[in-house]
Amino acid sequence: MDNFDAIELKLPLKAEYVSIVRLTASGISNRIGFDIDSIEDIKIAIAEVCNKLITVGNAKEDYVKIIFKVFKDKLTVIFDSEDKSLKCIFSGSENEFGLSIINALMDEVDLCSDSYILSISKVIEGKS
Amino acid sequence: MAEELDYREEYLEGSVNIYLKGELDIYSSEGFKEKLYNTADNTDADLKIHCDNLRYIDSTGLGIFVGALKRIKAKNKNIILINLKDNLKKLFIITGLDKVFIIEE
Repeated sequence: MDNFDAIELKLPLKAEYVSIVRLTASGISNRIGFDIDSIEDIKIAIAEVCNKLITVGNAKEDYVKIIFKVFKDKLTVIFDSEDKSLKCIFSGSENEFGLSIINALMDEVDLCSDSYILSISKVIEGKS
Repeated sequence: MAEELDYREEYLEGSVNIYLKGELDIYSSEGFKEKLYNTADNTDADLKIHCDNLRYIDSTGLGIFVGALKRIKAKNKNIILINLKDNLKKLFIITGLDKVFIIEE
């Protein structure tokens, strides 16, 4: 359970690259063995995090590093940036659609971490 | 970079049919917002948005639908979303927007 492979993607905080993140997420989720509906959930949740970072961040300077932790039956996606002002980016966003969608679609959501911006995870039901 | 969302309009008696094809995300939403708001502002009819070929939508797209609904409701007209795929309909349910929009099969 604790063994994982890590796949990293680093890209500018620009709207035109979110589709690349979705494609990557789709491929990795498929590799782990998620079903089609779960893959769609993961794509949307990851994109919602990207949307928020793009809306708040500085497109000219900011990069986001996305780390996909590939477990046997789980995907954890960590978002990190050198811009520490992006920490706890969803504070005060409780009523926004984006956060509602992330909370509903993912199994674990850590919105405020000490070591990175945030992380979200989804587990495959019944696979161990 | 190619536009990821194809937008087509058809004006009929009493309604405007809008056909969406592709992905409505933070990138394609800017152009979409302009077109949809422009139509909502300049028409006095219901907007029927056909989503058969809409593969993806996120909170940016949902927000634009809500903005357009406010504009069209001010004229006592409505937005009707037709043939939303199940994975997209799920987002309307999560956000409570299934009670705000008329969603038809």
